[in-house]
Amino acid sequence: MDTNLVIEGAKFMLLGMGTVFLFLILLIVLMNAMSVIIHKFFPEPQTDLSASTVNSQKNHKTIVAAITAAITHHRQA
Amino acid sequence: MKLFIIKFLAVFMFFGISSVYAAEPSANSMHQEETYKAQPLGEMMQGFLDSTGVSALLNPSPDELNAHGHTMSDFHKTWGRVIMIIITFLLFYLAIAKGFEPLLLLPIGFGGLLANIPLAGIAGDDGFLGIIYHMGLANQLFPILIFMGVGAMTDFGPLLSNPKTALLGGAAQFGIFGTLVGAVALSQYTTIFDFTLKQASAISIIGGADGPTSIFIATNLAPELLGAIAVASYSYMAMVPIIQPPIMKALTTDAERKIKMTTLRHVSRLEKLIFPIMVLVLAILVLPDATPLIGAFMFGNFLKESGVVDRLSDTMQNALINIVTIFLGLAVGSKLAADQFLVADTLAILALGIVAFSVGTAAGVIMAKIMNLFPGHKINPLIGSAGVSAVPMAARVSNKVGMEYDRSNMLLMHAMGPNVAGVIGSAVAAGVLISLFK
Repeated sequence: MDTNLVIEGAKFMLLGMGTVFLFLILLIVLMNAMSVIIHKFFPEPQTDLSASTVNSQKNHKTIVAAITAAITHHRQA
Repeated sequence: MKLFIIKFLAVFMFFGISSVYAAEPSANSMHQEETYKAQPLGEMMQGFLDSTGVSALLNPSPDELNAHGHTMSDFHKTWGRVIMIIITFLLFYLAIAKGFEPLLLLPIGFGGLLANIPLAGIAGDDGFLGIIYHMGLANQLFPILIFMGVGAMTDFGPLLSNPKTALLGGAAQFGIFGTLVGAVALSQYTTIFDFTLKQASAISIIGGADGPTSIFIATNLAPELLGAIAVASYSYMAMVPIIQPPIMKALTTDAERKIKMTTLRHVSRLEKLIFPIMVLVLAILVLPDATPLIGAFMFGNFLKESGVVDRLSDTMQNALINIVTIFLGLAVGSKLAADQFLVADTLAILALGIVAFSVGTAAGVIMAKIMNLFPGHKINPLIGSAGVSAVPMAARVSNKVGMEYDRSNMLLMHAMGPNVAGVIGSAVAAGVLISLFK
């Protein structure tokens, strides 16, 4: 037996990395396709969510202001 | 009155049963007395002293065999065992005081302790460790069951919201194949190692940083190296917070480490539900040899995301994976017997393992830098290191290193994407290796 193990190993690497990347690239393509299809045809019901965000917009702003104040206070301390 | 009759009957039955049982021991002792020969007290003492552990360690019996029925050298019967027992104590220390993967290192360490007891033969075919080993490790059942539980614990949301980070999980598998080439090259041209292609493949899968996958491949390709491979794999996974940061810092610039990534979009429930099926179908079409691992993984995940079988998914995430972890740890520990672990190969495996791990980490970081050359949202290269599996430790390390440079930069969820992609990637790499040796 006079097989060159290094060349065998390199073949393994080529095939192995090739398969891993092929698999993941196909997966990425499928994930993107799925996301587009689902958002187009089966959007999640978000009506009440958006309504509540509009109502609490002002409330959010006060919270954000409070957090910002706390952070500045913390940084100064 | 009724009560009295019942009591009377109960007492009667009790005596009846006990008399039946009493009859048996007397017959037994008669039998024993026939085979038992009276001995003088001195001989009895001598016989007892010969059966103590002290005597077995100091004057090993020449015909004591190892768990596989082969003869062992005197070193492995005496000092080898003592050294291995000290090593298991070291594992206990690392697990308890340093918090290195205690869930696995403690069962593995204790299994190793039990496997090195002289005369008792606990790791032999009839010992309980041997039985556990044959029950689920020799036939690769335990790693598959662990994968099911891990699947039920995994959330693919971060990956689904930023699919391209999956490439980082692919690049990190370079640790496996790069080390494979290195190991066979050193076996071919030098005398440092002498590994066959199969053994080299089983060792380099440590670079995938995935314990169950390593065990799955090792039992498949090189069962004789299982103990060392499993111990190396789990110890390096536990040492992720020590091994990875220097590599990550060496390969990135200060500006790259401060890159802020865009917030992850919301992922709908339907996407999460379809994802496991999609991966499995892809595996069926591209690489059926990877489907035992990927199938179990996606089964667990599908049950979790279905949301209608919380009881089953809860069992997989807790009871099942805990029970299997105990068995898996003990079974791996049974391979820490001195005659199998204290060999030159073990050192070579530990060395190759850390190389594989580091190369995988580096490849992930470099891949992120390559991806940043293309237009689109920039990726913080620190999440590239999370492409080695080691969920969720590697992602936490990315987050921690990122915070060192910018306290407000939360990378954890971004790093979970490559992290779970790394699990899929190493399962695919395992499938490739298995298919190549068929």
